[in-house]
Amino acid sequence: MKVISNGKLLLKITQEYGNAHFTLSFSAIFSFLFLLYSFNFNSQTVRPIVLTLFLIYLLTTLYVWFISKQIKRDLATSREIQKRTRLLGIPLIFTILVGNIFSSSYGFTLITKNKTPEYIFAIYAFLTQILIIGISGLNLFKPYVVDSFLLAISLFIALTIFYGVMLVLVANLVSSTFAPKWMLPIGIVLLFPLLTGNLFSFLLGFGLIKKARNKDASSIEKWQKMWRKILSNSMAVFGLFFIIFMFSLSVISPWTFDYDFATENNYSAILQTPTLEYPLGTDDFGRDLFSRIVFGAQISLIVGFSATVIPSVIGGTLGALSGYYGKKTDNIIMRLLDILYAIPGILLAIAIIAAFGANTVNLIIALSVGSIPTYARTMRATVMQISNYEFVESARALGASDSSIIFKHIVPNSLAPMIVKATLTIGGAVISTSSLSFLGLGVEPHIPEWGNILKIGSTYLETHSYLAIFPGLCIMLLVLSFNFFGDGLRDALDPKTN
Amino acid sequence: MKRLFALLLVAVLALAGCVQTKKDVEGGGDADTSTSGEKPSVEILGMASNENDLNILRDQLTKNGFDVVLNIQPDYGSFSAQKDAGNYDVALSSWTTVTGNPDYAVRGLFKTGGDYSVVSDSKLDELIDKASTLTGDEAKEAYKELEQLLVFDQAYIAPLYISNKAQGIYSAEVNPKTVRLPKSRAQVWESISFNDESLNESETLVLHQAISTLTSLDPIKGNDGSINTLNTNMYVRLVNLTDDDKVVSDGSLSYNHVMADGNSEFYFILRDDINFAKVENDTAVDTKELVSAEDVVFSLNRAKDPNSVPDHRTYSIHENIETVEIVTDIAELQNGKVAGSDETILDALSKGLPAPVTELVDSKEDVDNASGKYQVVKITTPNPFPQVLNYLAHQSGGIVSEKQVSSINTYDVANYDPNKDVAYGDQATVTEGNTYNNHLYASGPYILVKKNDYEATFVKNPAYRVGSEYEPKIKNISVRFIDDNDSALSALRNGEIHVLQSVPETKYDVVTSDKNLTLNQADSNAVSYLQFNTSGREVSDSADLRKAILYSINQEEFITYYQGNKRPAVSTVSPLIDTGLKLEADKEKVTEFLKAYNESK
Repeated sequence: MKVISNGKLLLKITQEYGNAHFTLSFSAIFSFLFLLYSFNFNSQTVRPIVLTLFLIYLLTTLYVWFISKQIKRDLATSREIQKRTRLLGIPLIFTILVGNIFSSSYGFTLITKNKTPEYIFAIYAFLTQILIIGISGLNLFKPYVVDSFLLAISLFIALTIFYGVMLVLVANLVSSTFAPKWMLPIGIVLLFPLLTGNLFSFLLGFGLIKKARNKDASSIEKWQKMWRKILSNSMAVFGLFFIIFMFSLSVISPWTFDYDFATENNYSAILQTPTLEYPLGTDDFGRDLFSRIVFGAQISLIVGFSATVIPSVIGGTLGALSGYYGKKTDNIIMRLLDILYAIPGILLAIAIIAAFGANTVNLIIALSVGSIPTYARTMRATVMQISNYEFVESARALGASDSSIIFKHIVPNSLAPMIVKATLTIGGAVISTSSLSFLGLGVEPHIPEWGNILKIGSTYLETHSYLAIFPGLCIMLLVLSFNFFGDGLRDALDPKTN
Repeated sequence: MKRLFALLLVAVLALAGCVQTKKDVEGGGDADTSTSGEKPSVEILGMASNENDLNILRDQLTKNGFDVVLNIQPDYGSFSAQKDAGNYDVALSSWTTVTGNPDYAVRGLFKTGGDYSVVSDSKLDELIDKASTLTGDEAKEAYKELEQLLVFDQAYIAPLYISNKAQGIYSAEVNPKTVRLPKSRAQVWESISFNDESLNESETLVLHQAISTLTSLDPIKGNDGSINTLNTNMYVRLVNLTDDDKVVSDGSLSYNHVMADGNSEFYFILRDDINFAKVENDTAVDTKELVSAEDVVFSLNRAKDPNSVPDHRTYSIHENIETVEIVTDIAELQNGKVAGSDETILDALSKGLPAPVTELVDSKEDVDNASGKYQVVKITTPNPFPQVLNYLAHQSGGIVSEKQVSSINTYDVANYDPNKDVAYGDQATVTEGNTYNNHLYASGPYILVKKNDYEATFVKNPAYRVGSEYEPKIKNISVRFIDDNDSALSALRNGEIHVLQSVPETKYDVVTSDKNLTLNQADSNAVSYLQFNTSGREVSDSADLRKAILYSINQEEFITYYQGNKRPAVSTVSPLIDTGLKLEADKEKVTEFLKAYNESK
């Protein structure tokens, strides 16, 4: 093994050191925000809870700073991080209890040297579940909870314990190429929590199955390599985390949240500022903003995903056909799509909704139609390039039919740019959904949807700003997450960097 | 270890016991919907601008066991189209009684064949006609009877609330004491003054209006928000409404007016200090032509005649006028008595005149008030109809120049071609560009010079009651067209416009907390109500279903939502006459009427 002698370079390539600074800055930013919010400037009083949070975050920040100094010293003296330093990560894990996802996940990554993708998935599956319990738990302050609440929470607690156990097992037994055979059934069990929206658990299960079966070494290596690349990008990881967290929250919301709080007007609680009962306050109809935002995620995600998947399938197919056959087919398909491309997307969407009425299905169709051409173009370019490769020639020489060449040989090899494009445009779809609702062209106004919520907020921007800030932040964070994750994905899948 | 688990289990169970679930709170199934079987469906038609009302209604009806479908249209045009097509069970409507009299609040809306009416009920027609002839307590009783039939017995409409008016004034520049906020009549421009009165001559007052397409500047050819304020300030009327809807002669063409005994003859004594103004080289000039009794007779005769102009929009308001004539026989005034008193008409008309009446003249050439020569106009109605005075105070009762209008409107009314013929008051003639050819003759305090999509420019009439308190204070006025109310409020806050007539309820705080602004609040005659579809729907045939919807409405919740800035209503008459009736939400009645409806099916 090559020994790196340059201390500065060593610092640079040591992930723990870089991540320490990342964690440090985010904890510092949050502690500063808490400090700002801890003093009520209107009534000149201190908010004790917020002040406590500030102190905890501040302590965390200082602690992480201390760890980063330790790592630096370790690397200077012994070229690797000492066990003693790694153990310093344990207290950090508990910061999840105050919602500091950055330091908690950093704590997890610090305590072990063996960072397989499975381990990272186990961490985030665990953290996601804890945060879900915490967020759902806020419903206990409501006058009542839904009937399935207790059952669901018990299930979540059981899942959390399960993930915790898996965390320890994976850290100790799974390597970058190998997992014990008996993990296969566990891996299969881990696929099921997908029903709670916890995609990390699914990924963990999938990885474990792959490694436990130990059949195809090259596929394991590919898997390992791709995720290692994505996971080494902290922003991409947190992007993925936020997407999966929102997704999971929206999937489980019917079991732990009451839809009535989000839609039924309550005139005795109009425009209340955030309290424990209404964590994000209430809107002008007395509806709980917190419940509305949680339920709103459903529509934003459904429309966002559908309005990305539908055009990528249609556009992808059209692009593949036109790229493979070329000549007249290409000309006809692409010219028709060019015509569609010439119509401004949002105008087309508005026209479709104006003609067919405003509801979720029409919204998806309206947003999908406009983005078909861009997907077709991306696909066509890749297919044209790939159809000249030798393996396509040989398939053709073996007498394979056109359709099997396209869908078995060419399309699987041209998916990477499509996936990257889809991840990067899904954020745009979320914004378009919200914009149309904001303009009153999306779903019905009483149905919780982020654009709808923001619309009400915009009326009260000056007097009750929290009504606009929270849904705005959610839209922003979700879109940002998709963009960061898309960036990470692009770096990982880009053949040039491989 | 086992003990620990047991303890944990106990702790969890104990905690779980403390948590109330939805079932515990509601105590099992939904009691009220199970009795009525299938949920009746209600389609509510409304505009996007009334989204909040629609949401409250949806919530209230859903909670009372209805299946609600919202039909939200983006603007008034598509709303009307849907309404005309009958695609609704109930339509969220609103009505503002701009004349300040109860007859106007019901005649057009609910009488068979009325301008906006979908209701056809002979008993209701009878009550409307009967109530219109009465005054005072008798009228109150009659309107109470009418409301009982309209709302409670038949439920043709379901009332929601009465709105308040709120006006924002940029008081850093404009003197808020000079800006009136009348209940019914349009904004009064002539009284407005800047804080620094020396600026009145040089500085332009900037006002606001939402609609930039003007229907017509001929007062009888339009009755909508695009011209109401403009025409009110461009044409003087025989009488005016005060801020709380009393009919007076102040600020009008008459010195005094009188209703003669019998409630069907009305006399007006005209002043001689108002001349028509016209526009020359972007400024107003005095035409030296007196606004006279001849012009009054001409104006009111064309106002009541549906065939006087194409697209006559206001004749139904004036259909109760039988004759308009100039009185020359002073004996008629000496012998006639004022309604409900022993005073002679002449005495009543003579109050506060510059000189006692010596002669009543026929022609405008002979008028000279200072030497006792006056013109008197007499209006008669076929039936006793005291409220005709309110209609005369309406914008459509504005006095135009007989000479000018006759010289412009030379086309044949029956074969009018809007592409070829130019009608008096056509907005194209005042719009900047090739078609500009301002032919307006204004009898009111201001005259429109020109307009574009951005603003309309007005200057004061140089011959309007010069030297009196009614002489316009500010020389130049610009009416800025801003469609969106929130943008208009922003414009007010940075002083781009000086007065905003309608501050949204949710923005009162913003205006009151701004030290540059003053908020003026007053009652208004605007009522929001639900109009039931009267043909082809379940609600059209079943009064029980209508009543179930009626009693589902909780007006208190509307008022709470609007932070107390609305008042309870019973019908469109409510802001004008308090009949003592009250609509209260009643869940039991809803269940009862729904049951009756289901049984009758």
